[in-house]
Amino acid sequence: MSTPGPAVEWLDSEPDQAALDRNRLAGLLFELARAINRDFAAKVPSLLPADPRLAELRTILMGREQALLARLARRLDDPEQLAAAISQILPSAIVQAAARDERLGQVLAPTVERAAESSIRRDPRALVNILSPVMAPAIRRSIGEAIESMLQSLNEALKASFSWRGLRWRLEAWRTGTPFATVVLKHTLVYRVEHVFLIHKESGLLIEHVAADPAASRDPQLVSGMLSAIQDFVRDSFADSAAGEVDAMRLGELLIWRSDGPYAFLAAVIRGKPPESLREVFESTLAQIHVERRQVLHRFDGDTTAFPGLHDQLAECLLQQARPRDRRTSPILWGLFFALLALIAWGAYAWYERQQEDTQWAAYLRRLQAEPGIVVTGAERRDGRLYVTGLRDPLAVRPEALLDGFALAPAKVIGSWSPYQALDPAFVFKRVQASLEPLQTVELRLEADAVRAYGSAPRHWIEKARAVSRLLPAGALALDLSGVQDVDMTEVERLRASIEAQLIRFDTDAPRPAPGQEAIIDSVAADLRALAELARSLGLSMRTTIIGHADATGKDAPNLALSLGRAEVVRSLLRTRGIDPDVLSVRGAGTLEPTEEGAIRDPSRDRRVSFTIRISE
Amino acid sequence: MALQKKICMLGAFAVGKTSLVRRYVDSIFSDRYLTTVGVKIDKRMVTVSAAEVSLILWDIAGEDEISQVRTSYVRGAAGYLLVADGTRPATIDVAQSIQQRVEGEVGKLPFVVLLNKHDLQSVWSVSAGDIAALQRAGWTVQMTSARSGEGVEEAFQTLAERVIRGQ
Repeated sequence: MSTPGPAVEWLDSEPDQAALDRNRLAGLLFELARAINRDFAAKVPSLLPADPRLAELRTILMGREQALLARLARRLDDPEQLAAAISQILPSAIVQAAARDERLGQVLAPTVERAAESSIRRDPRALVNILSPVMAPAIRRSIGEAIESMLQSLNEALKASFSWRGLRWRLEAWRTGTPFATVVLKHTLVYRVEHVFLIHKESGLLIEHVAADPAASRDPQLVSGMLSAIQDFVRDSFADSAAGEVDAMRLGELLIWRSDGPYAFLAAVIRGKPPESLREVFESTLAQIHVERRQVLHRFDGDTTAFPGLHDQLAECLLQQARPRDRRTSPILWGLFFALLALIAWGAYAWYERQQEDTQWAAYLRRLQAEPGIVVTGAERRDGRLYVTGLRDPLAVRPEALLDGFALAPAKVIGSWSPYQALDPAFVFKRVQASLEPLQTVELRLEADAVRAYGSAPRHWIEKARAVSRLLPAGALALDLSGVQDVDMTEVERLRASIEAQLIRFDTDAPRPAPGQEAIIDSVAADLRALAELARSLGLSMRTTIIGHADATGKDAPNLALSLGRAEVVRSLLRTRGIDPDVLSVRGAGTLEPTEEGAIRDPSRDRRVSFTIRISE
Repeated sequence: MALQKKICMLGAFAVGKTSLVRRYVDSIFSDRYLTTVGVKIDKRMVTVSAAEVSLILWDIAGEDEISQVRTSYVRGAAGYLLVADGTRPATIDVAQSIQQRVEGEVGKLPFVVLLNKHDLQSVWSVSAGDIAALQRAGWTVQMTSARSGEGVEEAFQTLAERVIRGQ
């Protein structure tokens, strides 16, 4: 404490102002006397160290400031007053100091830390109780943010997944305009909070209980006690007391979540898979209960009537999230439904088709079996196609042509046929028909024992028919050609008859033909040529003999010579008409072969040349 | 649900705590909890001064040479029943040691001492003098028999009244 200076000391006398200062008064009177009497003043020096007028002047001029200074000094000297004064300016001083620079904080920090430390060490519960309502929301928020960021990454991860379910959910997110992660949560997290217990921590007594279905709950007071006991048991058995509480228990589908407050804990019995955010609901409810009913909870002794309104507060925790049963059936579901319907319809149709096809197939096979020239040896259905194998006579109907009457797709039916010859009469008849060149003049008939041909045909046709007949298998029907006339031989015979009917007349004793016989010779020559041609084409050998005759008048010897001469003349006449003389032989019959035997002979008829033709194979 | 009180059943092994509780209440939990968790909880409504009180009974597994009563279960109790076997005087000593430990752990609480198996007169080994000595020490002693039901209701009622009046 500083010692006050003389001026201050002088001022300090102020409290004694009421009492008369005699010394001062005497001094003043003495000075007054000196002022009045100049001689006295000259003899006696002033008693004052200085001129009092100066002091007076100072008082008049500076008195106010001096008083202020004095008050200030008093305040500074008195700790109480000083404290009161500083307390008024301290907040703003701290604000200013803090605003200026960091020093205040740096200076204060160690002290504040020490103070807090010692306070916590003295009673940690107090701090915990104070902080828990404040910090719990902050912690929850930070956890919430962490979960949210985790979901974000989950979202990213799921974006890359292309499972059917993932695609379905992505479609739903796109359709409803909600974030994909939300859709995932909606489908994966389905739960129901069935019971909520608010339990006094120390005694395990039930403070309040709410249930989604009150009828289903067993005695909640006992359950609450048992929940506490199990907590204690687990903590005592497996963990030291600092390890905190058991915050979750699972029993099959049932999950018990515990949220802790300073005086009470909340146990929620949940069925299903709750989202982590549900815990936040419980914790914020519990924190709110602690903030609002802190004192009642602190003093709780088993009297639950002290908690009005708590039931409703807890009931807010009875949340549930049902698996979304969208009333509006999703288009995908409709699509699936129609697809299923279409599938069933298609299946039914396919079955019907198959039945129809089977029926048609069986009928077709029967038809094939009945067809001459076709033998079915096997039939099967494979890879949606119909296979038939068997034997088929090349002359039989084409199996494909038989499909016309059946409702079978020709492309589906695949035949595999080995050729063979059928022996049934109709088929033999058919084969014979097919083998022979059709002729207007020949009629083929299928008779009981053979195929018979009737009519006429050229020789070559008959030869071919014989060949066909020989090719027919033994024991099967034969081809009988006896009813067919050989038109070529008929012509040969006709020509021969025509030639042999001709007679060339001669006058008596004349070796040359009578006049007018030229035309006959021409005709014979023509017939001979035709016959030679025909015989050659049929492979027949032919010999023509020109026979000369004489009438019976005259002697035999000359007649013989005459007849021979006549034959020779005709041969040469024929030669001149282009007939090869080598195929013509001549003979003189003299009078030995008259035209008629009997009574009257006409000599003119005997003077002749006749022809005989021998034909051999 | 109005007033509830947590009451503990304490005592040596096989003195009949569970039988007493079974005599007194209908339980929803199986006795198996006693051997697994070490405690089983039951409830009994009593009327004290025309007010209904729910006694939440914590039947705590008995104490023997190898396992001590879990005093953590006693925390928050409003009172307790100390059960001893009248045919085995040693169980009274166990009861005394439990009583001291509980008092050290959670402080003074109302309690009633039950000398159980009073129906077994032939093997009863606690003399009237011993009982008087206990009473002199400030203990409220009640003879009970879980088999006949003797004294059971009274013991619970006595404790309930002392717990309520002690408030």
